[in-house]
Order: sequence, then C-alpha cells, then structure tokens
Amino acid sequence: MKKIIISVLGHDRPGIIAAVSKILLEHECNIEDVSQTILQTEFAGIFIASVPGRASEQSLSAALRGKLEPMGLSVLLKRMWETEVWAAPPSEPFVITTVGPDRLGLVAGVTELLAGYGVNITNLKALFRGGSDPTRNIMIYEVDIPLGIDQHAFRAALQERCRELDLDVSLQHRDVFEAIHRV
Amino acid sequence: MLSDREVLSTLEMLKNEHLDVRTVTLGVSLFDCAGHDPEKFKENVQRKIFRLAGNLVKVCDEIGIRYGIPVVNKRVAVSPIAVAACSFSRPQMVEVARKLDETAADIGIDFIGGFGALVEKGFTEGDRALIAAIPEALASTRRVCSSVNVASTRAGINMDAVYLMGKTIKDAAELTREADGIACAKLCVFANIPEDVPFMAGAYLGVGEPDSVINVGVSGPGVVKKAIDRARAANPHLDLGALSDIIKRTSFKVTRVGELIGRQVAEKLGVPFGVVDLSLAPTPNVGDSVGEIFQSLGLQSIGVPGTTAALALLNDAVKKGGAFASSYVGGLSGAFIPVSEDLNIAAAASRGYLSMEKLEAMTSVCSVGLDMVALAGDTSAETLSGIIADEMAIGVINKKTTAARLIPVPGKKAGEKASFGGLLGEAVIIAVSSNFGSREFISLGGRIPAPIQSLIN
Repeated sequence: MKKIIISVLGHDRPGIIAAVSKILLEHECNIEDVSQTILQTEFAGIFIASVPGRASEQSLSAALRGKLEPMGLSVLLKRMWETEVWAAPPSEPFVITTVGPDRLGLVAGVTELLAGYGVNITNLKALFRGGSDPTRNIMIYEVDIPLGIDQHAFRAALQERCRELDLDVSLQHRDVFEAIHRV
Repeated sequence: MLSDREVLSTLEMLKNEHLDVRTVTLGVSLFDCAGHDPEKFKENVQRKIFRLAGNLVKVCDEIGIRYGIPVVNKRVAVSPIAVAACSFSRPQMVEVARKLDETAADIGIDFIGGFGALVEKGFTEGDRALIAAIPEALASTRRVCSSVNVASTRAGINMDAVYLMGKTIKDAAELTREADGIACAKLCVFANIPEDVPFMAGAYLGVGEPDSVINVGVSGPGVVKKAIDRARAANPHLDLGALSDIIKRTSFKVTRVGELIGRQVAEKLGVPFGVVDLSLAPTPNVGDSVGEIFQSLGLQSIGVPGTTAALALLNDAVKKGGAFASSYVGGLSGAFIPVSEDLNIAAAASRGYLSMEKLEAMTSVCSVGLDMVALAGDTSAETLSGIIADEMAIGVINKKTTAARLIPVPGKKAGEKASFGGLLGEAVIIAVSSNFGSREFISLGGRIPAPIQSLIN
C-alpha cells in the first residue's frame, strides 16, 4: 500500500473537502490524516491517503484537477516516499509569543534563530494588522526545544533577537497553558 | 493547538497582573533531631535543613525560569520548636532561634517558620520556655517566624495562653522599639492553625506531616481584580453570582499554576508534594492588592458597609476555584486582609473606613484574621489579650482558622504611622475603643470550653 500527499490551495468556499474526499472515495483511497486552515480568504488543505495498488496515481491526479481547477483551486499530488525522515531529538514543548509593531522580516528574523538552535516549530500562528493593539500584531510559535541545547544561551539569543526586532517576547513552557486552560 | 485567546490571557496574567508563585515552602520535621543536649540539637537541625533545603533556592529559581513563572519567596517551615526542643530552657530556646536564623541565611531564604507552640489545651514546660523566649528570639533574629495556637474548635480557648501572648506581644514590641515593634510582625496567635500553611508568619510543619514536604502558596489578587474589571467592562450588567463565577475561574487558573510549579520543585528535590494554598496575599505594590478588589466589586472602599458580604463572596469563590483545580488544597486558602501589607487596605484605614470593629467583623469571613494591625504603643497586655480572645472566639465558634498579628507600636499613638519596611509595609495606627475595660475578664484565665457542634444558629 503506497501513500500520497495531496495539497489543495485557493479561495475558500463550501464544498472543497467534499470534492476531494469524494474523488478519493471513488478511487478507493483511504484518508489517514487531513488538516485544513483558512488565512483571510484563502483555504489550504493537506491530505495523506493510502492508495490501493491497483489505483493509478495519474487517473487520481487527473480527476482531482478536473474537479478542483474549475473551482479556482490548485492541487498538488505527491507520492510519500519511504526514505529517511528527520527524527526529532528529545525535547520539551514551549510557546514563544511576540508582540510588537509590524515591519519586514519579523518571521524571518525569529525563525532563523530557531532553526539555528535546532528548535522545531510545531505550530505557528502569526498575524500583522498594524495599529497599536497587541492582539493585532502577534506571533505565537509552538516549538519543541531540544533538551541537548544550551537553554540559557537560547533564551538569551531569542531575547536579543527580539530586542533587535523591537518585539516584546515571552517564552513559556507549554505545560503552563495546558494547566491553566485545560481541565 | 493552543488558541490565541488562551495564550494571550495567560501572558496577561503573568506579565501585567502579578501572577507568580508567592512561596514554595519546604516543611522539615525536626523530631529526629531531638535530644537533651542543646548543642547537639542545633547541630542536628542545621545538618538536616542543609541536607533537605540546601538546594531549595537554586531548584526554585531554575524551575521558575524554565516555566517563565517566578517563585518569589523560598522558605522553610519546621516542626514546632516547643515540641522538638521541649526539654530546653528559655535561653536555650533563644539559641535555637538564632541557629535557625543563621541556617536560613546560609541557604538563602528570607523566612523560616515554626518557632512556635500548640497550647490550645494547656502548656508543657517546653511550651512555656518557648513562649518566654519569643520576644528575645524574634528581636535578635531577622528570619525566624513564630506562631502559637491558643484555641481550637475541639479544645476551646486557652485563656491563660491568650493572656500570656498578650504580654509576649508587648515584650516583643518593646525589644524592637526602634523599628516600630517589628518583632510582632513575625508573630501570629492562632485558633485552628492548619498544619500545612506555606505562608509566613504562620508557617510550621504540623506533627501529622511527613518528614519533609513541599507546600506551595499562590497568590494573585491583581489577577482576580483585573478579571473582574474586564468582565464588568465587557458586560456592566453582570450580577454578583456571575462575578463570583469569574473569581472562581480565575482562582482555578492560579491554583493550577501553583500546583504545576510545586510538583516540579518537589520532584526535583525528591520530596513529597503537600498542598497548594491559594490565598489572595497582597504585597505593598501597586496592582497587587486585595483591597482594590472591593472597589472592582462596586464598593467605594474596603471597609464601607457591604465589605463583609463582598469579602464572604470573594473568600468562598477563591476556595471553590482552588478546590476544583487541585485535589490537595490546604493551608489557609482564601483572602488575607493584612492592613500594612496592602496599599489599598492601609489607605482605607488611614481614611477611617476601617475601624478595629469592622476589621474584626471581616475576619469572621476572611481566610485568617486580624493581620498586621498596628496599635498604639500604650495598648495594655490585657487589651491585646481581649482582642486576641475575640478573634479566637470567631475562629472556634465558626470552625475556621483565625489569627491575630498585632503590633503595639512603642511610643506611637492612634492616627500616627508605623513603618515596617519591605513586604511588611506601613500603616496608620488604629484606635481601640478602650484600653482598660478588659483587665478583669482577661485576668480570670482558665479555658473557655469547646463549643457545642449542634444547635447551629
């Protein structure tokens, strides 16, 4: 059984997931994982499905394009290769939150530092709407910080980078949010 | 995946509303240090505290940084010294206090509690020696705190002990005359003292407690006030039932943070976790006040008519939220009203909204009692004892903890200001209706019997 990844991108509207899943069903593909998000007016969805041996990827791809492109959606279909994937080192979950005026290079500036320390982003939500309301200019990174790195140096470097970017930053253990908000 | 609202509201609590872990208090039993030789006892005590609490400050700081939540105070509470050192004389008890102070300084903590006795039903020789030692012990040390339990719902009120504590407070104040009687700020007289209080000056390790235990005190009056303010701004028509719910939810969050940090510290120190004590404990800093909550609830000031009802609502909602957040809620858990330690309460007292009588009424529904109340220096031992007796009666009859931390400020009169410095703050000296009317009653002594537990009205 091989696996495929399908990503779908375009203006949001009702019926996108329904269209994709109907075609997958017609090709006897089993959806294993699906996630979607909407940013402003735009839809993005990613599906991982297992494909029976007899099904043709070409015909599946053609069917998806035939249905979705007229809806203004672009589709990418890719085989999931069973090659070696990145293995996460032992790590702890943290949440980095930044607040500060919008300007070019905020996401690039923070993520470059995270990448340099091998900190993996597991979820990111950032929005920049201008103005002085902090809730309108914010980045929330859920990250896994490897246990093996120098935690103090990482904290200091993050503080310094955010100071350069004129951002107010906080780094909290994820357990704090879980404890406070989840029963 | 966390929502924006969850992340932002948590950060707001941490950054702008003084959410912190107010104290991590390591309880250390000293019973296995006991013996007849005072030198050996002191050596054992020091060695045991070093062994268990040597890393307390370091571990708390590390965990505070890791979780991004400061542990403001690290403290140690020991077994009641009157029990652990019961064969010692008064001067030897003073020496024990000095050794505790020295040990506390060596491990970098600001207070060590437990220089106390439990005398609700009567005295041992050790109890008498310890109480006699309290004035000198507190005057000659900086970090030692003392608590004496003189009453309980099961035993009644030991009025001989009440009188003795009235005299002890006078002596302690006199010995620290230059510092406005500051020794008294480290001395609490209790009814129904819990065995696991992490907050000073009442902290000690009860006789039923394990060899060592981590108890955590969380606070957060600023968080509660802001939550009420936000809710009322969003919906001005919220009634007191809805506001009680807001307080309950907020105290739930605060308690969860305390338990999270406490369990981490306990695990790292290899010590069992005891309880979270969620007490709205103010500091003399702007935005960290219990008094301001009353204004958020629509009262002109703490002390005006309606205050006792508002305090009852607050105290109960805090307890309910805390009890849902953790299965191990203990200590005092509720709202403190320490006059000098709260800018807003101190201001209400100086503007005349808070009289002795109103404070006493409030203690019938707050979590502790008459706390950090500055009195005129010429307040007699009998008057102090009368005030303590009244406070103990409220606790004994209502099956709750009450305490009195009274400071007769030497050389000063009602209306003048007393200043204790640091977290102890400053406050106007409150007038007492009579300084002579209690003498005969207090002199009668004996024990007021334990109250009936039925016919509750």
